[in-house]
Amino acid sequence: MSGQTRTIKVGTLARVEGEGALHIKLRGEQVTDVKLSIYEPPRFFEAFLRGRHYSEVPDITARICGICPIAYQMSAIHAIERALGVRVDPAVRLLRRLFYCGEWIESHALHVYMLHAPDFLGYEDAIQMAGNHRALVEQALRLKKIGNRLVQLLGGREIHPISAKVGGFYKNPAPRDLKALADDLKWALDASLQTVKVVSGFEFPEFEQDYEFVALSHADEYPLNEGRLISNRGLNLDAAEYEDHFIEQHVKHSNALHSIIRGRGSYLVGPLARFNLNFDQLPQVAREAANAAGLTPPVQNPFRSIIVRAVELVFACAEALRIVGEYEPPQQARVEPVARAGVGQAITEAPRGILYHRYALDDDGRIVAAKIVPPTSQNQKRIEDDLREFAAQVVAWPVDEAQWKCEQAIRNYDPCISCATHFLRLKIERE
Amino acid sequence: MTEGARIVGLGNADRGDDAAGLLVARRLRELGVESAAESGDPLSLIESFGQTNDLIIVDAVITGATPGTIRCREVGPDAVATLEGGETSTHGLGVAQAIELARILNRLPQQIRIYGIEGRCFEIGAPPSREVLAAVESLAQQLSYYQLRGRQGGRRPAFEVR
Repeated sequence: MSGQTRTIKVGTLARVEGEGALHIKLRGEQVTDVKLSIYEPPRFFEAFLRGRHYSEVPDITARICGICPIAYQMSAIHAIERALGVRVDPAVRLLRRLFYCGEWIESHALHVYMLHAPDFLGYEDAIQMAGNHRALVEQALRLKKIGNRLVQLLGGREIHPISAKVGGFYKNPAPRDLKALADDLKWALDASLQTVKVVSGFEFPEFEQDYEFVALSHADEYPLNEGRLISNRGLNLDAAEYEDHFIEQHVKHSNALHSIIRGRGSYLVGPLARFNLNFDQLPQVAREAANAAGLTPPVQNPFRSIIVRAVELVFACAEALRIVGEYEPPQQARVEPVARAGVGQAITEAPRGILYHRYALDDDGRIVAAKIVPPTSQNQKRIEDDLREFAAQVVAWPVDEAQWKCEQAIRNYDPCISCATHFLRLKIERE
Repeated sequence: MTEGARIVGLGNADRGDDAAGLLVARRLRELGVESAAESGDPLSLIESFGQTNDLIIVDAVITGATPGTIRCREVGPDAVATLEGGETSTHGLGVAQAIELARILNRLPQQIRIYGIEGRCFEIGAPPSREVLAAVESLAQQLSYYQLRGRQGGRRPAFEVR
């Protein structure tokens, strides 16, 4: 093979949320270049937010992404509450956690079953898979619907939810409405446990990498809305220190900025990072499912992220069930913040990894500056690094198979490129 | 099951003409006609399929036609949906894939009509184009007529292209 020249061109990369472009260049069996190009709507939103009142920000940022609007709302709300010195009722905090569980259930069910499982079962997509694995697809639909119901109940509607606000919620959900979800959530928990068993039986390529995992960590719970930002290489930060340690670099080939850890380079956010750094905070049912599936932290094979995502599905269902069971309405659905000048930063755990927001407000509570760093942008350099290693493993394979495997390597990250891009096209070029 | 056709508008409110389906749904509600708005997530769309035997989907499309052109395709229970420009959907998996998945799962309504409004500008933050806004009003008026009055006589919007 060495010295041969050939070019592999691929159309739109399927089964990622949104689109972008990937270019891999090979010389013989050496990978000489890997470039992932994405566009960044958050950059547009950062400009769009300037001059807006803080109360508008949660609803505007929720529209950045149709898949993870809660994540954008939660990071925005927490950051602004920090700027304004707002403290919410503990019951509101629990409701926000429940809200986030709904999004995790929706997002993880979509990715595990519909976007990632076809890779391992040898189908081009979920449509082809559905013919032979109808029960799996039906299970995904039902799980997704349960997540939708949670989001709809707390957010007011399924897409672009509008109920969450700085200071709390516009309206408390009625206890009977939440309790009515319990049976569905019990079913979802059982279905998630089955999911872990199914996906742990898939075959995974031998591909372990030495990652710096970055995730939130909280003393009492698996992280969703809050915690310190930690890594397996010693980071331990408050959100206010994020920009001291993480920098964004402009790269010529992409409209997006590459996030790196200052002085170190790429890092990994998302399910693998959360699982590896917070295993002990998972509920027992999720830890047992992980152990039965042969998962022991640190999991360093990104292809096994599908199992970790399924374990997080178990967590999200179990956590939602717990909160629904214990729910007592907050004394106050919301507190009314008092506008003041200030700066606030927050990080929450979107399904795909940490989502950082910073807002500077003026005396009237209008946005002076905004910064949003979505998880896919943070993983972008890490995806390129994985592909640089992985493409070398498949370089001798037939073109179609090599291309398909590289696409899988990207899907390991469940890239929500609609947060960050327009179109993703994959091109492998041999010099 | 709902009485009459269920109308679902798809799109993204922050990407110019991609909002067309959402705008039709909103205008229909102003006209007193029940309609739903969705981001186009295929799994949610399949849920809509289970709620009716007569589904109308409205979405923006790119086919190369003049901006504002409205086209309609009917999808029968055995047909694979092919909508010109379907691959340019901004909604991840497209409408056509959702329909095909529903067909495999035996969840297709007896009748699906897809109204596509040709878009011109899909840039983030751009407003809908004048041509698309005019098409939105036209389609909403005619779907409203069909839902509220024309249905009994089987009358359908006149601009369908087969």
